[in-house]
Amino acid sequence: MKIAVAFKVVHDDQDINVKADRALDYSRAGRVVSTYDLNAIEAAAQLAAASEGSTVTALTVGDAGIDNSKLKKNVLARGVDDLRMVADDACAGLDAHATALVLGDMVEELGGFDVIVCGDGSADDFAQQVDVQLAARLGVPVVTSATNVQAKGGVLEVERTLEDVVETVEVECPCVVSVTPDMVQPRIPGMKDVLAAGKKPMNVTTAATAHAATLETVSCLAPEQAARKQEIMDAAEDGAIERFAQAIKAAL
Amino acid sequence: MKALVIAEHADAARELCAGARTMADEVVAISFGDTVEPGVSDRIARISVPEGAVLDDAADTVVGVFDAEKPGVVLAEPTRHVKTIVGKLAYHAGTAVITDAISFEGATATSLYFGGIAQRAQKPGDVAVYTVGSGVFDPAGAQGEGAVEDVAWVAPVRGTKLVSSQPIEKSGVDLTKADVVMAAGRGFTEESQLDVARDICEKIGGGLGCTRPLTEGLDWFPREAYIGVSGLMLSPKVYVGIGTSGQMQHMVGVNRAETVFAINKDKNAPIFKQCDYGLVGDIKDVLPALAAAL
Repeated sequence: MKIAVAFKVVHDDQDINVKADRALDYSRAGRVVSTYDLNAIEAAAQLAAASEGSTVTALTVGDAGIDNSKLKKNVLARGVDDLRMVADDACAGLDAHATALVLGDMVEELGGFDVIVCGDGSADDFAQQVDVQLAARLGVPVVTSATNVQAKGGVLEVERTLEDVVETVEVECPCVVSVTPDMVQPRIPGMKDVLAAGKKPMNVTTAATAHAATLETVSCLAPEQAARKQEIMDAAEDGAIERFAQAIKAAL
Repeated sequence: MKALVIAEHADAARELCAGARTMADEVVAISFGDTVEPGVSDRIARISVPEGAVLDDAADTVVGVFDAEKPGVVLAEPTRHVKTIVGKLAYHAGTAVITDAISFEGATATSLYFGGIAQRAQKPGDVAVYTVGSGVFDPAGAQGEGAVEDVAWVAPVRGTKLVSSQPIEKSGVDLTKADVVMAAGRGFTEESQLDVARDICEKIGGGLGCTRPLTEGLDWFPREAYIGVSGLMLSPKVYVGIGTSGQMQHMVGVNRAETVFAINKDKNAPIFKQCDYGLVGDIKDVLPALAAAL
């Protein structure tokens, strides 16, 4: 099977700080693969492993800063055969529509595919829309929220876990499938994998066509913190637990 | 201006129709079968989903309604089914959906960014398409004749085949409806320690949820008990975090609680800066004593 996996590069949310004016400060936050997209990469790698002769191509688009050597090796060390990246400041902060248009162009350059795997949602937007818009762009079916995917000939049997039901569906390839983080845990690449990754093909280009975002960001600020009493008691102190219990009862 | 509402549950349809009423002169609601009640919209476009079809595959039919009605605004329920439908509609309209809006100022809608680290306000393009969760619009504003028009099913060129659909057995209390919510965090080192937390829950009439590692890493809880980014977003009267450190990814799910209580053995845990009452102590000693005191 010819498998592609789409991932997003985001700032590491563990190191995002909030400035005095409530704007976000990314200066200490490195670039990482969006958490759930690691699960998508693993799902793609396992799908490939289950079907001999399969290949996995990883695709992403973003600003020029996503072209980071450590990050590229990290992706290629996860059972991915080659990596294609559009890294261009003209592609900073694309919305789901514009992202799908760029990814769609990239997929067409692959010259055919069987499955495109996506993650459950990105760490920053969590819109859960690129998978759907990409499928629409390519004119192929999409199955979201997959918790199990089995390839049976040219058909995928997908178990999808939704809010109230678990659906089992069959979808013909080529198609787009987005997987939930519950489906597979991402591997921890070993040193050998990382070394081998450095020798794999990486194709980094700038954007061929400008696809502007249709959504306009008006503001992006940390919420104002609710004022809390912050009465802290030490459990070792006499009567502290009773006072804490009292406060809970009073708040009920 | 016309508004189109897409929802698969009656409650959501009612709320979205109420919201649509504040944005448009005419409200048309898509109904999958009879999911939309009469009296919440001006008109109902009823789609009968054929047996063996996945609801997502109603997208082509919904796009047909969109083309016929030419709405300026689309409000959709953020379920996985509807998110597929509305995503395909947005592609067709050449735009992106503003997802999970929590408030509106004119057409500009605010959603969580990075799971709530920030709130981002976005302005839509020519056609405004939003998904909006429950609690944003007051359902009381929904009204209208609800004249039903049947819409013929448009089969997708390449659809998916529904083999089976099994309802998920929900375990425990519905935390979204609980006044008192307790959350267990990584401070729990053994699953058996949860018993006393459950005792406390019973005493104060609460529901017990958890942070992400307890459902994804340890499997002590079902996934629907996870509170925080891409899990439950709650606004209970009382929140008690037990052995939770106060990591933002969890706290965004509960920081709208009226009163926040926290128990943690580390006096420097960030949660103590975000709580009303904090108790510093090891849960294995503190919880039994607390259970006795309640």
